[in-house]
Amino acid sequence: MNNIYEILEKCLIEIEQGADVDTVLFTYPEFADELRPILETSIKAMDMAAPEPSIVMVQINRTELLKRAAQMREAKVKSASRFWSVSLRRMAVTFIMLVALFVSGTGLVRASSNTIPGDNLYPVKRTWEDVLLLFTFNPQQREQLEFEHENERLEELNELIAEGRSAIKVDFAGYVTSQSETELRVSGIPVILSPQTVLPDQPVTVGAPVRIVGLTQGDGTVLAERVELLPVGAKLPEVNDDESEFEEENHDEQDPQIDGNSNSGSDDESPEIDETESPEDESETSGTNAPKGEFEIKDISFEGRLESIDSRNMVWTVSGQKLNVSSAEINGNPVIGAVVKVEGYYNSDDIFVVKKIEIISGSNASGNLDDDSNDNSNDNSNDDHEEDDDNNNNNHN
Amino acid sequence: MQTSGIFSKWMYLQGIVPIMPAYDEQGALDGLRRLDSHATGAIYDRYFSEVYRYVRYRVGDDTVAEDIASDVFVRLLEASQKRQGPTNSLKGWLIATASNAVNDYLRRQYRRPTEALTESMPDDAASVHMEVDQREQNRIVREAYKHLTPEQQQVLALRFGQGYSLEETAVLMKKNMNAIKALQFRALAALQRKIGEVSHE
Repeated sequence: MNNIYEILEKCLIEIEQGADVDTVLFTYPEFADELRPILETSIKAMDMAAPEPSIVMVQINRTELLKRAAQMREAKVKSASRFWSVSLRRMAVTFIMLVALFVSGTGLVRASSNTIPGDNLYPVKRTWEDVLLLFTFNPQQREQLEFEHENERLEELNELIAEGRSAIKVDFAGYVTSQSETELRVSGIPVILSPQTVLPDQPVTVGAPVRIVGLTQGDGTVLAERVELLPVGAKLPEVNDDESEFEEENHDEQDPQIDGNSNSGSDDESPEIDETESPEDESETSGTNAPKGEFEIKDISFEGRLESIDSRNMVWTVSGQKLNVSSAEINGNPVIGAVVKVEGYYNSDDIFVVKKIEIISGSNASGNLDDDSNDNSNDNSNDDHEEDDDNNNNNHN
Repeated sequence: MQTSGIFSKWMYLQGIVPIMPAYDEQGALDGLRRLDSHATGAIYDRYFSEVYRYVRYRVGDDTVAEDIASDVFVRLLEASQKRQGPTNSLKGWLIATASNAVNDYLRRQYRRPTEALTESMPDDAASVHMEVDQREQNRIVREAYKHLTPEQQQVLALRFGQGYSLEETAVLMKKNMNAIKALQFRALAALQRKIGEVSHE
């Protein structure tokens, strides 16, 4: 059967090339009867072939098609521009929202900047501080920022105390300026210790840096919930302990030997007192505007002879003055009889707390306070000698 | 190639010959996606006649053939915008689309048959006996052709209406050549039988 299909195809090709049916079938006489009607029908099928379309019709339809293409192109451009306009509108709305959020956010932060604990916006202030710390990568800037925040905590606390607001949770850090069994004074803030207060394992000493977590009380004190010791050298707010200053003033009155202006008539060896009080401090203490009984801690420096060293209790005696050196920076090799320069302050317990002690000259005759040869290296040796003489005279008297 | 292009342009500018840019099918398809007028026009110029003659062969009516052929090109525009247009053989896509359009048309005609006046009614001007016989003969063949299956109609349209080769027809109908040979034999045999049946009615 395949054979007749092949022969039909060959015959059709020959007819297409111009041969007639009889001529084609002459080659295949055995298929002539079967193929003749098929081939004649194929000629009729070929006669049905349509002529070429008229040029006019082709041109008209061409124009119509191109017009349609142009319409679609235009619609496409409009659609694209509409897409962009919608996109731009969305972008604009997003931008406006972001700006609004930013403005309202910064406004909120600004509004919260003056809040104190207990205010509604106070958490915003603390969160903003945390955010600032989070994005501060320079260690020095970070330390400075933390220091500013600690100062801010103290200012907030002072404001709370001034307003008499109680039961407000506070958290601040500072140096211990005085201590007793039931009370600490940290950065001038009286901190009440209760049996429920969580204390650190190591004892809290005067001058130690601590963090206090507690609740304000209406009487201007803070009831401590927790006391934490901070690492030595932590950068903490400057001490502004009014009570210490008050005690300092009282101490000055009672102990003229460390008062630079009234060191005459003392029974003890009178060291030179060098108060490093700033001019502002002076104006506060001596000014008429300063309330009575309110003054600041004064750093005091003086020189004298080292008379004894009690290493166990960290107490040295310099020119008759007992000094607490537990937190002191000691420069030089301390030996009995050495001339030392002492810098420190009196705490509320009337103990002189040494911040820094410098061994100016070593002792040639240990323990001999009257040996003039010790003073040869000292610029003030003559003065010291005279003072020694005075002291001796006073003692004799 | 470039020199001949410049020469052709020079000749065109001198009015000696019209410029005939070479047809690049892939470039034309790319242009079609951009709805470029030149590309669209080039595709139309190249294929409209073939599509029209194919449709005309199958429907036997000039007006209907013109409508369907034009519609095929509009469908081409739309399909190219939906990324559903031809990717390889543009001619295959056009003929296939035209075939589907014709089948749709014929189905509608089958549901609502109408008398084709143009070929069934004798022309007053056809006074010559031979011409009348020829027209009658054409009408009988056309009528017989209508009774073939769509596949038989298509193979006859491609082979005898368009004059496509066996291979080309096989590609367009997506069949192998042996199948096309058998199909064309059966289509001619069926047309012969139908011509006999229509002639005796």
